[in-house]
Amino acid sequence: MALIEIPVGPQHPALHEPIMLRVRADGEKVVDVQVVTGYNHRGAEKLGERNTWNKNVFLYSRICGICNTVHAQTYTQGVEAIGGIEVPPRAQFLRTLIMELERIHSHILIAAVMAEVVGFESLFMLMMRDREPVMMLKELVTGNRVLSDYYTLGGVRRDIDEVRKDKILKVLERVEERVKYYKKVFTEDFTLNKRLVGVGIIKAADAVKYSLVGPTLRGSGVKSDVRSDDPYAAYGEVPFKVITYDGGDCLSRMLVRFDETLQSIEIVRYVLTHLPQGPIAPKTPIRMLPAGEAFSRVEAPRGELIYHIVSKGGDKPYRVKVRTPSFHNIINGLIAYKEAKIADVPVILTSFDPCISCTERVLIIDEKSGNSRYIRLKDLGRGV
Amino acid sequence: MSKVVEFLRNIGLVQREVKQARRYVFEVSPERLREVVSGLIKVDENIYVSTISAVDYISEGFIEVNYCLWGINDAVMVVLKVKAPRDSPKVPTIHDLIPGALNSELDTYDLVGVVFEGNDKLRRGFLVPSEVVSQGIYPLRKDFKV
Repeated sequence: MALIEIPVGPQHPALHEPIMLRVRADGEKVVDVQVVTGYNHRGAEKLGERNTWNKNVFLYSRICGICNTVHAQTYTQGVEAIGGIEVPPRAQFLRTLIMELERIHSHILIAAVMAEVVGFESLFMLMMRDREPVMMLKELVTGNRVLSDYYTLGGVRRDIDEVRKDKILKVLERVEERVKYYKKVFTEDFTLNKRLVGVGIIKAADAVKYSLVGPTLRGSGVKSDVRSDDPYAAYGEVPFKVITYDGGDCLSRMLVRFDETLQSIEIVRYVLTHLPQGPIAPKTPIRMLPAGEAFSRVEAPRGELIYHIVSKGGDKPYRVKVRTPSFHNIINGLIAYKEAKIADVPVILTSFDPCISCTERVLIIDEKSGNSRYIRLKDLGRGV
Repeated sequence: MSKVVEFLRNIGLVQREVKQARRYVFEVSPERLREVVSGLIKVDENIYVSTISAVDYISEGFIEVNYCLWGINDAVMVVLKVKAPRDSPKVPTIHDLIPGALNSELDTYDLVGVVFEGNDKLRRGFLVPSEVVSQGIYPLRKDFKV
């Protein structure tokens, strides 16, 4: 049979970061996958060199909509390390709170997308319905449901009161119940299991060698989580478990996220009940920094996010290098597609929780006849 | 003491002081880089490439390439700093030793113009738009003004 090449991507209206996977297949079997990048390089690193330290807090929190506060955290904690700036304990706890709320809604989102990709649309709808209250909690704490601008150098910009605290705890009770139910659905549903179990297997040694991060790494049984290995914000004081699953397949990666969501709910409860009193930000804004450099790491919902910030002194950074977790997981995760079926390609890609927008439309080319036709990713997932 | 840090100290690398906890920064010459990295993964195979970050020091005349490696077992970040002359920045590739370094090498070549010798997958346009590539510009060099 002729090899066919299937470009998966590069545009998707719902998620961001366009990318294309060039899938070469022999019949149903995937022979090789190449990744095509560079559709939307936004130059945030270059722009950061022109902005002041304070302005960059807003710039870098806009790199990602879903991981909005973790980017702000990585940038601010790097700058704080260079300047030797002490962050008040209450602000550290509030930062932890908002990052965990973000992890909860991000993990629910990708589980919902996974349900949609395998054709289980009613589950997608239900999960998106149950994700919305968490977005509202983010709005309650920060004033905005997506791009929050919650951070400032040395602290956070808004405090919370008892009324908000009670509201968060109340909403999370319902969310916890629903997440437990969805975990049960993913574990027990026959169709979901058919699509996820044993698909896109990555062995533990390969996951490390190919520098995969986050739930993708932990889904292969490797215990590595920045929150516990390299604590930042208030994570050093908050008890929580690092979740790993040994399967290395798509289901393991999804179950890591479900268990992490439940852990995040526990973290939020702990943070709210142990919230220290005191200021939330320095009295005077920080404008000038000494020379120095910082390697700042944070566990984003998708894995390790790292910023390398260099200062030569003054009011602007000399260099800001940003490496997002999806950059490793999407490009180095290509090893997982070998020997998979074509219909599994979208499932494997989704199991990495890619922060990209690749794939509503797919072009199928028959290399022998030269004919081509477009189909939607959803239909490809269903094996149409 | 972490095994990897001990190894790096024993082979006589110069260590730089940093303020952050769990970060160990060493200076390595381009000639020794491959020997150091292959020694590291022999000491502890649970090391991954967190990122490769290149900084253009235009007035000093060199580009500094920072290899950030995270040791999972010991929970340490090892940073290897390699200096390459600005007019012809070349360092050896490590993607055959740690395959996870490939995307970072592609990214650094495309944006800063550091050539990773031995990596035959290097190409322009990996992230940079084609109109910038056609002008032969490396956008994250300091002499490129926006």
